Amino acid sequence: MQANTSTTKKTESSVNDAFASHFAKSMFLSIVGLLILTFIGTRMFTHVDLNLYGYMVGTIVFIGGFFYRFIAWGERPPTKLFIKKGLKLLFRKSTPKTAVNHLAIFDFIRNRGVYRWVQHILIGWGCVLACLVTFPLVFSWMYFTMEDNGYYTIVLFGMNIMNVKADGIIAWLSYNALNIAAIMVTAGVCMALYRRLKNMQARAEQKFIYDFLPLYLLLFISITGLLLTVQNVFLHGWMQPQMSLIHQFSVIVTLIYLPFGKLAHIPFRPVSVFARNYREHYGEQHMKECKVCGDQFVSVEQSNDVIQVLGVNEIDFNMNDGFNLAELCLPCRRKYRIAKFSGFATHQVKVKEANQNANG
Amino acid sequence: MKKRLYLELENCIGCRSCLAACTQCGGHEERNRNYVYDVNPLVNRQTMPLMCLHCVNPACARSCPAQAIQIHETGAVLSALVEKCIGCQNCTIACPYGIPKFDTEQNLMYKCDLCIDRSKDGIPPMCASVCPTNTLQWLTDEEIEAKQKQFNLDNGKWVTSMPYLEGETNVKVNLPGILQGVTKLF
Ligand code: HEM
Ligand code: SF4
Ligand code: SF4
Repeated sequence: MQANTSTTKKTESSVNDAFASHFAKSMFLSIVGLLILTFIGTRMFTHVDLNLYGYMVGTIVFIGGFFYRFIAWGERPPTKLFIKKGLKLLFRKSTPKTAVNHLAIFDFIRNRGVYRWVQHILIGWGCVLACLVTFPLVFSWMYFTMEDNGYYTIVLFGMNIMNVKADGIIAWLSYNALNIAAIMVTAGVCMALYRRLKNMQARAEQKFIYDFLPLYLLLFISITGLLLTVQNVFLHGWMQPQMSLIHQFSVIVTLIYLPFGKLAHIPFRPVSVFARNYREHYGEQHMKECKVCGDQFVSVEQSNDVIQVLGVNEIDFNMNDGFNLAELCLPCRRKYRIAKFSGFATHQVKVKEANQNANG
Repeated sequence: MKKRLYLELENCIGCRSCLAACTQCGGHEERNRNYVYDVNPLVNRQTMPLMCLHCVNPACARSCPAQAIQIHETGAVLSALVEKCIGCQNCTIACPYGIPKFDTEQNLMYKCDLCIDRSKDGIPPMCASVCPTNTLQWLTDEEIEAKQKQFNLDNGKWVTSMPYLEGETNVKVNLPGILQGVTKLF
């Protein structure tokens, strides 16, 4: 058994040795993946739309930035732990429900305020819709062919998906999907900007690069995209090639920026489902009892994990009184500190903490 | 001139002005992030405030899988970024003083950020602005040093700073009178 594990370790590391780093390996694998998908999607590169070449380069640069950022992230001890245990617990019964709540309808943002929720639905789903249309087109995974009979055929990964009437509702929706997405994003971003103007709460902590830049980028993309349609419909395509370039440029800049700023939450948010599963699963198994008052306040697993993660960072809260601070419930931990300050054992007095909320 | 939050614990009269003021800071969503405790509730009325000490090596931020807790260039350890916090509550378990609060409904941690939009421009945080008894003050390093000299304790009971805290902090705490047996005149 022992020998076995060590040999697998060895082969594993020798595969990894072929690459300078995790980074190089992930980069290589994803570009190969993209190429294979594109190869299949384009029926062996016979249907490539070269107008969209800029997006292709942009996507590849984006993948580079993405791995650079997220491999560093995944290596942090607490992150690594959540990803590892989260993957193990992925197939809980509650996972689909949690995932829909956290990643699709954003229940928790609604609890922060309906305004913020509507805003995020518009921005988030607008962007998702736009990506669902754009990227398959860019890599030619999806394209349209026109038959003589007034029908379009939608081709996805080389398969004919459906025939739609050229002036039918589905066709209309597909031509206008990007316009609809752009209007959603514009409305959402305007709501976010308005909130910053009107609401003092939202004004704190705003830094241009972190806070405003992503909003302006999204706005810029949406507006240039909408202008393309306007030029097409009302101006007979006047200046359209130029605008098309500006639009492409804005998308590429956003893609490159994405892994580093506020928008980095998009690829990372699924970990919130992992975190929920982790809390639920280990919470059902074994709860930690506070070393002072005996209340169950967290799972044993999480208490131990936090102690271990802090240990990696050379932080250690073992007290002379024979416990680690992570083993006290929060009110007891606060009272224990008061006790350390005053010399009187406040945490031993069996009185519930006074109300700590100013609103009564 | 860089100033710090400085606590002179024994001055506290338990009025909870600091809690009320905290709710009114921009970005605090009308919820307070600090605490006031009775030291010996069944016997006397002494109270002491407790708040984030803004550790130099903050356990909360180290334990956060999402890098949601950022450290400002002033040293303030900020509240969770609303779009990054994934609601794991590691930070609440990690903090040696039990400071971060968690809202289950919003799936979001929130904690003292030293009213960063004020303190980054040298304006004292809300709590220090309103404290009527000078328990919470906003002082320069020189002023804090003078305070410590003034209350020089030789009896090994200087329990509110290193090595008695769990790590170096940006907020300085002092508890001068009680342990010396001295009554203070404000
Ligand atoms: C995976 C699903 C996603 C989740 C769980 C998620 C979560 C969040 C959360 C919790 C916030 C903070 C909202 C608040 O408290 O007001 C936020 C903000 C934001 N999200 Fe998302 N997000 C997701 C996808 C997206 C997508 C696809 C976009 C499109 C680009 C996006 C763009 C934004 C923007 C621009 C903000 C900032 C809003 C502001 O500054 O007021 N998000 N997101
Ligand atoms: S006192 Fe707690 S919440 Fe404040 S910085 Fe230190 S670890 Fe973080
Ligand atoms: S609850 Fe939020 S801020 Fe706290 S450790 Fe988890 S992700 Fe970070």
